[in-house]
Amino acid sequence: MTSELVAARRRRVLDAMSEREVDALVLGRQDNVGYSTGMARLWTSGTRPFGAGCVLIAETQRTHLLSSWDAGIPESVPFDDLYPLTWNPEVMASSMAAIGGLSTARRIGVDACSPGFIRATARFAPTAQIVPCDDLMASVRTVKFAEEIELVRSACRVVWSGVEAVLDRPDAPTPIANAVVAMAALGATVPSSEPVVRSEGDTTVVDLGVMVDLYEGGVGGRFVDGQRECAPALVDACRDGATHDDLAGSSTGPWLVRGLGMGYETPVIDAQRGQGLTLMAGMVLSVTDGDHRDVVAVTSGQPEVLSAPPYPTDRPAGSRA
Amino acid sequence: MSVEDHLTCNVGRMRRERLARLRHHMAAQDVAVVLLLHDPHIAYASGHVGPAVDTTHAVHQRSVAIIGQEGPVHLFADRPSPDLAAEIHPPVFPELDESMADLAEAIGMAIEPSNAGRLAIDEMTGAMLRSGLLDGFDLVDAGRILGPARLVKTVDELACIDRAQRINEVAMEEVRTACLPGVRRSELAGLFISRVRQLGVDDVLIDPIFQPMPRNLSDGPRTSTDHVAFPTGVEDPLFNEKYLVWVDTGIGVEGYASDYGRTWVVGRDPSSAEQDLFRRWSTVMEASLAAIVPGATLAEVGRAATGAERGAIPWLPHFYLAHGLGVESAEMPMVGTDLGEGFDEQFVLEAGMVLVLEPVVWEDGVGGYRAEEVVAITDTGWRPLGGWPGYLPFES
Repeated sequence: MTSELVAARRRRVLDAMSEREVDALVLGRQDNVGYSTGMARLWTSGTRPFGAGCVLIAETQRTHLLSSWDAGIPESVPFDDLYPLTWNPEVMASSMAAIGGLSTARRIGVDACSPGFIRATARFAPTAQIVPCDDLMASVRTVKFAEEIELVRSACRVVWSGVEAVLDRPDAPTPIANAVVAMAALGATVPSSEPVVRSEGDTTVVDLGVMVDLYEGGVGGRFVDGQRECAPALVDACRDGATHDDLAGSSTGPWLVRGLGMGYETPVIDAQRGQGLTLMAGMVLSVTDGDHRDVVAVTSGQPEVLSAPPYPTDRPAGSRA
Repeated sequence: MSVEDHLTCNVGRMRRERLARLRHHMAAQDVAVVLLLHDPHIAYASGHVGPAVDTTHAVHQRSVAIIGQEGPVHLFADRPSPDLAAEIHPPVFPELDESMADLAEAIGMAIEPSNAGRLAIDEMTGAMLRSGLLDGFDLVDAGRILGPARLVKTVDELACIDRAQRINEVAMEEVRTACLPGVRRSELAGLFISRVRQLGVDDVLIDPIFQPMPRNLSDGPRTSTDHVAFPTGVEDPLFNEKYLVWVDTGIGVEGYASDYGRTWVVGRDPSSAEQDLFRRWSTVMEASLAAIVPGATLAEVGRAATGAERGAIPWLPHFYLAHGLGVESAEMPMVGTDLGEGFDEQFVLEAGMVLVLEPVVWEDGVGGYRAEEVVAITDTGWRPLGGWPGYLPFES
């Protein structure tokens, strides 16, 4: 990922803060931190308790990051704008108080929160109002930059190497282990979703997802003799202006259309959710219908499939197919 | 090599005993209802362990557990294990504004709406803040309930940690033989994850760490402590013979974490200077272990470690000498953190607590030796969790 992309994403966040009159934005979700700063951090699975991972200040336009070292920190963030990892809430409160523009903020945005953080804020910024800004981050992230679309496409290519490894030996005792090794050979060791591999007669069902350079790739499908069954109509229905009804009407099995970028994002649309939502050009979506999953970029015309196999479609996947 | 099966825990008994502890602390702190969104908390309270996926997936598909002072645990989750002693409901999605009516209804299952009282919660989403869903409750951090409940482990919890640790050790001892010049970190990580899967465990809780360490502190990243940066979790180095590599991996069994740490060299034997580091580390480890007994304070354990290094602090100053292990890979008790000496002086070890000791011995110009071992505090001292497979290629 280029420093230009990081700067452009941060610009969007700061502009949205200005529009919403948010003086300081405290981010706890690692994907929001990564979007706003380009910071890479050791990956751990599952939810993380809320903590201030990053603070953006409107007045100074500075980014302050939770880190005890400068490894993984973009050059745009000077060492003096890091605050250290701590186990001590008093130390964290002091770090917050020392961030120029935070203690005087009138409106502090957060992407999530905890009772402890609210109490701490009342001490280091006694006059501030806490404003939920998860929606600010979601809306900023909805429309992708061209480079983001290419990063997702690259991540999908890595996933295909895992799919091929499964199809090479679908009867292996642990086919997912083979997919893991194949994707790791390309440098990718972080899963996004829960991997699925199962056999149904001659059919191998596969769904894999992986994070590469902070962006997600994913592919799913039913494979017979190395050939994936055709994409369902739902993939093609993901067009600018498509409504919940349009998507529901195109689906054939259990379905899910959700944002994909730096992981799982909004919108989230399925049979129960997202009734009032409309797709727009520039969104990138993971589209699941039954066992099939593709990743698409919504355009003004036909959706662009980012998870297309990285080889001619008449060539079966898997060397033994 | 197989991992012995006698370490299986009585899962039903474990879940009952955990819930009793949780409710004991709810009553002691006059908490009317606990609302949990954090995976390890939900695992502890309900027994439901979600898949080890990226945090964004965990957040958007997350489970929720709601526990009143009496009645069943209410679990809102996709595809939970059918044998849980909880009332299972379809998932609610606390990230979404459209889900707030469902979430309000869910809270109403555990508490009379008119009887708001004190509510313990671990995370509030933006949608929850916007909806006013929690207005009227006296909110406290759920850690105040879960923290003390989790501190002393049941025999079944210890069995889960022991089992996770042994599987982790088996996989890593195999990966060590593949740590050769020309290999990349990602290849070793892939080998580890695949081997763990072959041993029957799907949940890898942390991107496996194989980090080449600098020989001098000044050669590494700049840090706030002037000590070494670890674990950074960035870059994908190509290993060569010169490297001294700190490794750290963790997997999950029934939601319980393991923690394997060692120092490796790459395709050679350790130099005599590196061996000296290991001997010093072993002395620190032995001194620390000798201080572990119920009734000892954390400070006494810390002093035993520093005593072995003639007063120098033999651990990473941004971390600790030792930390607890359970449904999270670093939890209380912690020895030697920036909570300060006062905290360590007043914290007394009890039987059933778990400590992962992770001393670090550093000699600028040579580098550092770091390894981890897990112990459970017993009535008379401690016992190892995991098989303690040794420290090859280092030997004392």
